[in-house]
Amino acid sequence: MKDSDDGFSKKNLQRLIDGNLPWEEVKKAIRLSPKDANRFTKYLELLQANVPWDDRILLRISDHLYIVSKEKGGRIVKCDCGQELGDYRINWKLSCRIYVRRTDEEMAEVITIPEARHNTDLVEMREFYCPGCYALLGVEVVPSGYPPMFEMLPDIDNFYREWLGSPLDDESKDWFQDKTLEKPAAWMKEG
Amino acid sequence: MGICHQDRTLREIVDEREQSFKDTGCAYGLERLELVEEDPAKFMRFQMRLVASCINARESAKLISANPMSMIQGELLFMLANAEGDVVSASYGLAGHIQCMPFIVRNIAKLGFEDDPGIHEGDIFSVNDPMYGPPHNADCYTFLPVFYKGELVSWTVGLNHIVDVGGIQPGGLGVISPNVFTDGFTYPPTKTGANFKQHKWWELHWKRRTRTEMFNVLDDKMRAAGVVSLHDRIQDVIEEFGIEYYRKGLKEIIERERRILVERIRTLAVPGKYTYLQLSAVNYKGTLGRLWPASNRNWIIHKTGELNIRTDGTLLTDLEGLTSEGDFHANAYEPAVRMLTSLGMWPMFAYTETINSSLLYMTDWNIPPGSMFNPQNPYAGTVMGLGVTAGYIFLFHNCLSLAYFSRGFLEEAFPQDGTTIGYGVAGMLEDGFQWAGGDMSLITCQSEAATPFHDGIDAAICSPNPAPDIGETEAVEFLMPTQVNIGKKLIPDFCGHGKFRGGLGIGMLQMVNKPGRSLIINAFAATDGMGACAMGRSGGYPGTNDIVVFAHDTNIREILENGGTYPRDFVEMKEWFQQGILKAESVESFKGPTPSIPCRDGDLFATAAGSKGGWGDVLERDYDLIEYDIKYGWITIKTAETVYGAKIDENGTVQKEASDKVRQAMREKRKERSVDAKDWWRQERERVLEGGWHEDIRNMFLDCLKYKKFRDQFLGMWQLPEDYSL
Repeated sequence: MKDSDDGFSKKNLQRLIDGNLPWEEVKKAIRLSPKDANRFTKYLELLQANVPWDDRILLRISDHLYIVSKEKGGRIVKCDCGQELGDYRINWKLSCRIYVRRTDEEMAEVITIPEARHNTDLVEMREFYCPGCYALLGVEVVPSGYPPMFEMLPDIDNFYREWLGSPLDDESKDWFQDKTLEKPAAWMKEG
Repeated sequence: MGICHQDRTLREIVDEREQSFKDTGCAYGLERLELVEEDPAKFMRFQMRLVASCINARESAKLISANPMSMIQGELLFMLANAEGDVVSASYGLAGHIQCMPFIVRNIAKLGFEDDPGIHEGDIFSVNDPMYGPPHNADCYTFLPVFYKGELVSWTVGLNHIVDVGGIQPGGLGVISPNVFTDGFTYPPTKTGANFKQHKWWELHWKRRTRTEMFNVLDDKMRAAGVVSLHDRIQDVIEEFGIEYYRKGLKEIIERERRILVERIRTLAVPGKYTYLQLSAVNYKGTLGRLWPASNRNWIIHKTGELNIRTDGTLLTDLEGLTSEGDFHANAYEPAVRMLTSLGMWPMFAYTETINSSLLYMTDWNIPPGSMFNPQNPYAGTVMGLGVTAGYIFLFHNCLSLAYFSRGFLEEAFPQDGTTIGYGVAGMLEDGFQWAGGDMSLITCQSEAATPFHDGIDAAICSPNPAPDIGETEAVEFLMPTQVNIGKKLIPDFCGHGKFRGGLGIGMLQMVNKPGRSLIINAFAATDGMGACAMGRSGGYPGTNDIVVFAHDTNIREILENGGTYPRDFVEMKEWFQQGILKAESVESFKGPTPSIPCRDGDLFATAAGSKGGWGDVLERDYDLIEYDIKYGWITIKTAETVYGAKIDENGTVQKEASDKVRQAMREKRKERSVDAKDWWRQERERVLEGGWHEDIRNMFLDCLKYKKFRDQFLGMWQLPEDYSL
């Protein structure tokens, strides 16, 4: 194994991302102590090579979604298909196409055992699709009227500065702020 | 003059423990780990001697127990604490309990136990009252001070989950209890023995206040024997290493491992805020009648949480918005929250040489007063608050999995969902013998949720216990002969689907066998028709619901007498009903806990739990994985087609071209029937303004809106005025 791999090769990391790393190799990765210190760097290199666009990936936040830095300024959520989902401080779900399952019949399409289905008197199932590729990005099972859940708001500046030791050029205290509610406020104004 | 080092009192050293951490940020103010640095090998040997002593205590003591949960399902733990109450070492078993011991010691210090009733060599103390540290009264603690030349240097502790607590429902997992007076036998810290023996009067309490006296008396003897045995071994360790080394070494274990945990978070995670939600219910309406009018209602339990991974590597969990305390069984105190949620932390980052209470030094909580985990009513019922706190185990599994995924450590992602079933039984046999029991098979062994890179492994884990063991069916039947297991198996399609699917839930089917004069069964379950988690992962569907079905007055005996086969789970039972082979006078189905259900000979009792969530978009599932599932019967052809968009031929092979077209059509369907977020928001806002919620949901919102954080989110999302009310 190459020194630069630091105990876990880039090739195996790619296989792990693809879901085809053999279980024995996965177990070796789990047992690796200490972990490969350059894992995040390798991860970003692989992810960047896998997407068809050039915006710099700062963080991966789901199978398809990335927080990227735009060359002209700003940090946004971007799908690997290229669809942009807005400022990462605003819950990306508010930039999706949304379908809601409200009846037992609609639930039955994804839960085929009737007894296991959700009680539609109490909750609905929301599905959030990418408006570009229609990949299913998120699912929520909540009562009607429940505010969409903001799964993750990373503290990116402190992550890069304090944990990775490589601060970003556009650091600002304003980055670690949940700005989700600005969007419905804007919609309200638009009428 | 106190009993602790340098004649200090227990109260003084407990206060010093808290103050020194506050002042320095290090446990016991230890900025240097001198013993570790001087001779790490010796330190490791010291630590391993402590671990071995705890395991030895567990393995020898448990042979005294007759309780199947202790004997074969691992529901026990022996541990060693320092004088201040920090647990420094433990056996395997119910690991979470190490979080409680510091609270127990702090409480007896504040209660002045040193003066009255006194703390002397050979004294045995017992406690199961959640207000003083234990998580719920089914988890009974026995602890013994360890003295060295007149100085209190440690506590040896044993605990296990007992079969029956003497509440209004049988078993140890009751789901009905309006207050502490109906919780069952609940005792605050009590001196129950002296000269290394329990007092004889103590047995009478088990005999008179619980249903399963034989199990409970033997369990008490087991715990006492274990703590005495551990006490003796610790004396040997002190002799070998010296008292100075021992005293200092225990503190260094805590500080060293605190540092490891903080560093592990910094290595694996990404700082920030992560959201979690699970919804469950307490359904009392119509069950308690006029006896407890305040409890004659239902509650939706809003288990909201925000995990803050702070830049210094510590964690803050904010529970603002959690349901308020109520006249139900599900309240809990901070130690219960600390205890059970640590079960999500051990596997995610807190695995070290020994399990210990260093977690307390790097995890903070905001638990608002008046919420169900910080009740202000001293008589709040808590018999199964643990069932609700358990939901927060998965906050750590899920939020940290996302953090590790973002950092690139996919192999460390280990998301899970809260789904599980246990049950209690009680009755009177034909000869008048009164008995009770309980079984935790589906709690003690579950399937795994999907990860970012593979399907959940079946029947592989136990979230409440690091040592999963479904136990031996024969032993359960021997001890509870009315419960004959006629089926226990994985149920096809019973999972959350995704690019990688969750492990399959497990189902059990039991036939009620000769119950005699009476038998009632009550099941505890973790879901209530709202699923195992409110959020899927990366587009995967979350875990579904636990299932309990009672079929009364069936013809199963006739079928068996004619030499027929029998159904093995609720799915097959239903098919047999539809085919007319199996008949029943009545069938009761639940998607969650049940009241106490009277049962007779030949009734069938089916349970199924552990449907775990998927990861990723179902339409991206690899065709080879679908073929594998079809081949082994884990997924039906119907599900392969309707959920995954895979066309299967008569040989069980995926027709790839045809399937690609089906998937394309399914994506088109997504496009056609979805709406832009803004349109959805407008429609949803209208629904909020109409307020046509189910009564239980309306009550949930009414309660949550009392908490500023949720209120701000709700009002902001729907652009409602400050004075909005439901």
